[in-house]
Order: sequence, then C-alpha cells, then structure tokens
Amino acid sequence: MNDRALVGRRVGLLLASLALMVVGTKDIRALRAYRETVVVSEAFTRQAPLSTYFDGIRGTLMDVPVFVFDSGVPGGSVLILGGAHAYEPASPVMAYVVMENITVTQGKVFVIARANMSASTLGMLGNAYPPFFRVKTPWGEKTYRIGDRETNPLEQWPDPFTFVHYPSAQNLAYQDSRNLNRTFPGRPGGNLTERTSFAISELIRREQIDMTIDVHEASMGYPVVSTYVCHQRAEEMCMMAAMILSAEQFPMKTETSPKSLRGLTHREIGDFTESFAVLMETPEPFIDKFVGPMTEALMLTGKDEFMQTAADRGLLYAEYDMKTGATLDYRVGRHLGGAAEVIKQMGEFYPAKKVGVSWPTYAAVMEKGIGAFLHDPAKAAAARVFRH
Amino acid sequence: MILLQELIHQTYFVLAGLIAVLLVTRLFRRKSRPGLAYDIVYAYAIIPFVLRALHIK
Repeated sequence: MNDRALVGRRVGLLLASLALMVVGTKDIRALRAYRETVVVSEAFTRQAPLSTYFDGIRGTLMDVPVFVFDSGVPGGSVLILGGAHAYEPASPVMAYVVMENITVTQGKVFVIARANMSASTLGMLGNAYPPFFRVKTPWGEKTYRIGDRETNPLEQWPDPFTFVHYPSAQNLAYQDSRNLNRTFPGRPGGNLTERTSFAISELIRREQIDMTIDVHEASMGYPVVSTYVCHQRAEEMCMMAAMILSAEQFPMKTETSPKSLRGLTHREIGDFTESFAVLMETPEPFIDKFVGPMTEALMLTGKDEFMQTAADRGLLYAEYDMKTGATLDYRVGRHLGGAAEVIKQMGEFYPAKKVGVSWPTYAAVMEKGIGAFLHDPAKAAAARVFRH
Repeated sequence: MILLQELIHQTYFVLAGLIAVLLVTRLFRRKSRPGLAYDIVYAYAIIPFVLRALHIK
C-alpha cells in the first residue's frame, strides 16, 4: 500500500471512530443537557441558589435552586431534600409534586428537588438502564432524568483509595467521597460533594430549619426499605407517624439512626444542627441487584418476576406482589403521605414548630396517578415555570 | 485545598487530551506494526480520551 492510500485509510478510520463516538454518546449528551421543568404552586415565595448559604459551590452544577414557600404566619420550618441519590427518582418527583401543589397556612417549607444535580447527569456504570423516564399527564408526557447514585466524575475526580469521613475520621468506601448521603455534615474545604453537604447544613443552620426530610428509595433486599430513619431527637415523632401510617394508609417502619454510621443526613444533620433529621425510604425494585432488564417500564411499575421469586423465598424486607408491583405512583404517594404525617407529628409534639401544609395525599395519588398533579408549563404563568 | 483539588481534577482532563493527541500521532506516524488491525485499535482507543477531554463522559 502506498503512503497516500495508507494515510487515507487512517483518516477514514479516525473519522469513523469519531462518528461512532458522536452516535454512541447521543443519550449521554442528552442526559447531561436535559433540564426538567417544574410549575410551582401559588404558595411559592422565592428561590435562591444554594451558594447563598456557602459560596464554595458557586458556579458548579451543585449550586442548585432552593425553593421557598412561606405562609408569612409564624410557625415551624421544614426542608424537603430530594434527589440526594439521583437514581431513586421517586425522591425528586415527590419534591416536584410538592412544589407544584403545595399550600402553606402556617410556617414555611424549603424544597431542594435535586440535591445532587451532578449525579442526575449520568447513568450508573454497567447497569444499562435508560437515561430518562416519562410520566403521563392529562396534557402530555413529562420527562425526568434517572441518574446515578454518586456525583458525576466530570465534576469530582479522582476518588481517594479510601474516603475518610469528616469530622468522624471513619473510613468509608472510596466512591462514598462522591455520595452526598455519606459526606454530611460536610466541610468548607472538602471535595465538591462535601462542600455541597456543608452548604445544605449551612442552609439548615441559617434558616433555623426545624425538620429536615431527606427523601430516598431503597432496594427491597435492604432492611430499611419502607422505613423512617430518624435521629434520636426525632424518634418519637417518627414512631407516632409510622404507627398512624401503618394503621391508616400503608406499611411504614421506623428505625433510630445508628450512632456509628457516619455521614448520613439522619445522623449528621441531627448532630450538627438543631433540626430534627428524618430520612424516608420507599421500595424501589429497579435498583435491586437481582431484577431482570432495567427498563423504563420497571422504573414505572416495579413489576419483576425475579423480585417475585425473591419474595416467595422470604428474601425481601417488604411485602411484594408482582401483580401490583411498586409503581412510581405508589412510591411518590408514600413519600407525600410520609412527609405530611411526620410534619404533622412535629406540630403535635412541639406546637410552636407547627407547619400548616398540604399537598396531594397518598390516596389521591393512588387514585389519579401523579400525572394528574403535574401542570402544563406551556399554560402556566412564566414566573411560575422553572427549568431544573 | 479547593484550589489544589481543582488543579488535580483539571489535570486529568488535560492528560486525557494529551493522550488523545498522542494516539492520533501514533495512528499516523509509527514505524512498527503498520497493519490494519493496529490502525483500528489506535483509532478506536482515542474515543474515551476525547470524551473525557471534552467533558462528555
């Protein structure tokens, strides 16, 4: 082969590789560029970037908006923290349903729908699941990102060999350096995820948040599925809320935050702020390791034959029936009901901290689906529409 | 500390870009292993480094 032909072949191969790269990363680029839309309710008061509370995250993807719904009537305050783990989508979707439908008659509510925005911009390596899922509404479909558990390496890299939690000095897995729910209370000079945790802790301290509700989903092979995990200062409220929910709405357990398990919101926010720290988990078959294909349908319905086999053999920590699965409606409805009940209990235990708040109930979501509570951005006033 | 972290973080992107350039150079200018299979390997191996250098993946 002469030199000209050789160069031609190599140029062709290089162009083919670049073309393959462009085509093969279509979903990756789309996921990173996509912005979710939320139409906030008429109770919306203001929004501010999280960097308002700590400048060390300004200009990064972690500088997410904090939405405030203030009644103007003295009372307590609540922070709803969604999306700490992006691959648990009932969490940010619950936050969006709250933001779109909330009414506040006493106290104020702060909402962060995507606490780890960076984690929502990539998929989990090796899990081969779709980048998005769609929720049907009366006016069309609304698209949301699925995301990963940890901060995108494009924002924070390299990982240490072992992540040493601050300030406990407990050794955690290396990838936990990018896990927002292992880096609390955070530190101002730490890595980006630690700085984000610190910013959230600062928000809680400066705004004197009475209760922080961190919203998660759990695999069904994980003991704390369908559970409140609460700091010891909040355990009585959680126990009451769990009993009432189990009697009237859906099964809910409660567990007190272990003192030796460091970095999690239910431990560190309780220890390092005055806030009552509560974490909620729903059953999410999608993230279990033994399910079949991780499709959008599995994300939305939670129906999986292998999960049923595990249930039949008594290997799960929550009831499971493949006929009903664990739908996104069920999981979001649980979170809406769980948050409302524990907030109500805070008002019962501490009347000065009462927050008068309402949003779609578990029963309403189970009857109509969450799509009925998501509004059309095309028909909403521009001042109430946010891209997120 | 944050500055140092950012420096290390950005160094990875620069290194990825340099390796991509090195691979392109080796694709076109190498004296040993001139066969088609090696051309394909060099061209294909560029992809992850370009993706990282461009902040795509």
